Amino acid sequence: MYAKLIFRNAKRSIKDYLIYIVTMTICVTLFYAFLSISSSYYNPDIGSEYDFTLLSDGMKVAICMITLLLLFLIQFVNHYMLRRKQKEFAVQSIMGMEQKIIGRIFFAETLIMGIISILIGIFFGIFCSQFITAMFLTTYGKPYEISWTLFPDTVLWTVAFFTFSFLVVGIFNTHTIQKTKIITMLSAEKENEPELKKSRWIFVMVIIFELFTVWAFITGIIKSLFFYDSRFPIPVQLMYFGNILFPAVTLGWSFLWLFQKKKWDFQKLLCGLLACSVLNTFAAVSVPALTNQYYLPLGNGTLRKYLLFALLDLFFFIGALIYLASSFIVIWKEKSPEHRYKGENLFFFGQITSKLKTTSKTMTLICITLVLAIFLFIAAPILMGWALGFLDIHAMYDVQIFSEYNDVYDEKELPRDNYEMVTDFLKEHDIEIAYDCTFNLYLPKKEDFSSRIKYNFPVVAISLSDYNIIRKMLGYEQISLGENEFATQWQTIATEEERNRFLSEHTDILTDGGTLKISEQPYYEEAMGETLYNSYTDVLYIFPDNICEKLLQVIRNRYITTTEKITYENASELEKIFMNEYPEQIENGASYDIRFRTLQVNSTKANNFVMQVAMLYGAIVLMVICLTVLSLQQLLDAGQYKYRFSVLRKLGVEEKQISKLILKQLSVWFGLPILVAIVVAAVMIGYFVQTISAEISAYIGFTTLLLQIGMTVGILVLLLICYFLSTWIIFRHSVN
Amino acid sequence: MNTILKLEHIQKYYGNEGNITRAIKDISFSVKVGEFLGIMGASGSGKTTLLNCISTIDTVSAGHIFLEGTDVTEMKPKSLAKFRRENLGFVFQDFNLLDTLTISENIALALAINKTPAWNVEHCILDIAKKLNISDILNKYPYQVSGGQKQRCACARAIINNPKLLLADEPTGALDSHCAQMLLSTIQSINKQLGATILMVTHDAFTASYASRILFLRDGEIFMELRKGNDSRSDFFAKILNVLTMMGGEQSHVC
Repeated sequence: MYAKLIFRNAKRSIKDYLIYIVTMTICVTLFYAFLSISSSYYNPDIGSEYDFTLLSDGMKVAICMITLLLLFLIQFVNHYMLRRKQKEFAVQSIMGMEQKIIGRIFFAETLIMGIISILIGIFFGIFCSQFITAMFLTTYGKPYEISWTLFPDTVLWTVAFFTFSFLVVGIFNTHTIQKTKIITMLSAEKENEPELKKSRWIFVMVIIFELFTVWAFITGIIKSLFFYDSRFPIPVQLMYFGNILFPAVTLGWSFLWLFQKKKWDFQKLLCGLLACSVLNTFAAVSVPALTNQYYLPLGNGTLRKYLLFALLDLFFFIGALIYLASSFIVIWKEKSPEHRYKGENLFFFGQITSKLKTTSKTMTLICITLVLAIFLFIAAPILMGWALGFLDIHAMYDVQIFSEYNDVYDEKELPRDNYEMVTDFLKEHDIEIAYDCTFNLYLPKKEDFSSRIKYNFPVVAISLSDYNIIRKMLGYEQISLGENEFATQWQTIATEEERNRFLSEHTDILTDGGTLKISEQPYYEEAMGETLYNSYTDVLYIFPDNICEKLLQVIRNRYITTTEKITYENASELEKIFMNEYPEQIENGASYDIRFRTLQVNSTKANNFVMQVAMLYGAIVLMVICLTVLSLQQLLDAGQYKYRFSVLRKLGVEEKQISKLILKQLSVWFGLPILVAIVVAAVMIGYFVQTISAEISAYIGFTTLLLQIGMTVGILVLLLICYFLSTWIIFRHSVN
Repeated sequence: MNTILKLEHIQKYYGNEGNITRAIKDISFSVKVGEFLGIMGASGSGKTTLLNCISTIDTVSAGHIFLEGTDVTEMKPKSLAKFRRENLGFVFQDFNLLDTLTISENIALALAINKTPAWNVEHCILDIAKKLNISDILNKYPYQVSGGQKQRCACARAIINNPKLLLADEPTGALDSHCAQMLLSTIQSINKQLGATILMVTHDAFTASYASRILFLRDGEIFMELRKGNDSRSDFFAKILNVLTMMGGEQSHVC
């Protein structure tokens, strides 16, 4: 009998469960697709030089962390279903059904819906895992082949995880149903909008914002006391002043408000703070941007501190904007009677403002989460592309030994070694050397040795013969120079503008070996690794050999390529030996380091992939959470809406008009947080892209970036359509 | 006086074949311009169904309803909403105010829906609020005012568009006796001073005593009609009670 009731209920209320099924299906799809990578049946051909275990362990941890978010979502959706069905439960209880049994019936119903979602989800998951495999194989530089496989252990894991969560949530729900009084359930739908409680969160937020502003103000003063120099360029000076002035204005406004408290309302304070938060954000973000450009000395941790300020300002901006949104609408409404009294506008504004007033906290959280999700989405591929592009430049040679003289203050301590231990090791392990080049980098002028200011670090030079050997190693053409001529070699991240400026300023250079003229072919820009340049510089001089003999050699590097790839074990062992010989932590003197292609490629690729997958998974889960919460926020109040729309109908509003109103209301409800989030995220991403634009153009390319942004927008729109449509259908269903 | 509303042999059935409920069996009557008509009857006598049919929220199974010569039973569903908002005003037992809007906005909504030009809206509201004595609560929300005030606001909303017919469904149902009395005086003054035609459904004899004519319904038919004529309200009230006793006191009901 009960079984019949369960099935009939499930069948009848499938429309009510639409949101539940959509959300659960998306959860299962994501879970299955991402977990399938770590399946023991998953054996893509990625070559023997890679260590796969590193990856699958990392993946499991990352997926588990993000899955915790899913649990929150499952609980939220269940809570919604419980509230929606309360009246039904009340009637059943009045008829004499035990509440325990009602709880169980509800549990069985949700379980049926859950199982349907698991089945659909796994089906979609198989499709989605193809994307992830494609992503995976691209990371490892292998061609992509479609393989339709169902991984039994992943299926088991998925079913187990979701059944377990359903059980936990189910037990919790059954308990709730047992504890709820019949009268509460019966009147659940009649419950009116909660009385407008004075919400405290915005006050707390204002106080936190003020405290941080005080901190920013003090930091601004301290930094300018310690580091300010009147010779700085104008943008830097503006940055210093801005970071004192804007926090001061913020605090000044707050004090002014305190004095005028009787006359001015809280909205006025908030409006001022809203404007100030924008100014503060600009001031704070200018610090990292200008520091990167001018290599400003600001002390340890300053950049992180300013990023924190900027983030906090942005979050405050979102919160205050949403809190004030209803006030803005009210003001606008008051000021323009022709809009206010047009058709059903009054009703529409009433709907929006009343909902905004009671849910501004949730909206703020949703907005911030959305910003995070969008940012993760776009930043993930940029960071990954950067890391991979960097890898190519990083790992151009099988073994790279390089040194730095940044902490050397005595010429006698400059690196002079030949790193013979490496030769011995390679010989011992029968590793054949294809090319081997030990070379020096020279300072054009000896007096530059003491120049250690970051933005004024001297450019070093290489002798033509060494340069040609390295070019040969990498398979590039040989170059030649005329007498007393020089050329330059450029890092990949250097911009054309930078290069042109440098070349126009350096047509002749004065060296300890005489004056040199720029060659006819003034620059080379093939990638040659980043250890070929002096610290903080993007350019290298190429001098004739006879000139170099007269210069001070400050850096001694060694590059080796082997005929066969060095194995993982050998590379680790040699790294250890090298580290023993040249310890990393030294206070004074030259520092040395060694890099192996094998080790770098392996760890970078694995980390990269795990990071990318985790970020994408996290981003989608966060988006799904936001959209679900948004949609359920509307549907939870369907009871009230039914009443309100029925009043409209009685007043003689046509059905067509009511449909329009519903659509308008839902559009604003979904549109507002998404729009705010997109604007804030766009600012954040714009800033992020601008800071690393050199790296993006060097390692990723703007086409790829645009493609990525397009894909993000695509996924967001797809999810949005799914949720918007299901919300719309259910909303109309419950209002009519 | 002209006839504004005319009902001809209205019938309304619910249910399917074999199990038909006849909510209204056969009702015919007419209402003249400026009349205050009460419809009384016990629960299940068909009075709300009748009101729903007149107000075009529900359709009739048979018969015709003419409002100023227009047959509303023949109208297309599309034009019904327009007809409703142009010709009818409603007052309900549970006020039906929107809690998201202030009292004045609730009234303004009715005007706005009827496409009143914006410049005229506020003037209209102030005018009607003065007449119904709700000027000082115009900027409050429904949950901040008393039941009587809410119902007066609902009345204001109902008559602001000068409807041809004001339909009131148990307007005093949710009010205490004091508020009910005040509201009824208001409705009466709407009838007398503004000349509105009112059709009020109630099962309360006191409320009904404010009307000028009362139709008693029983089991979907008109059982009796009572006119106030020149009687005082207390006399009329006594007559109503008599009819009610007669209606409920038949032998067959006691057995």
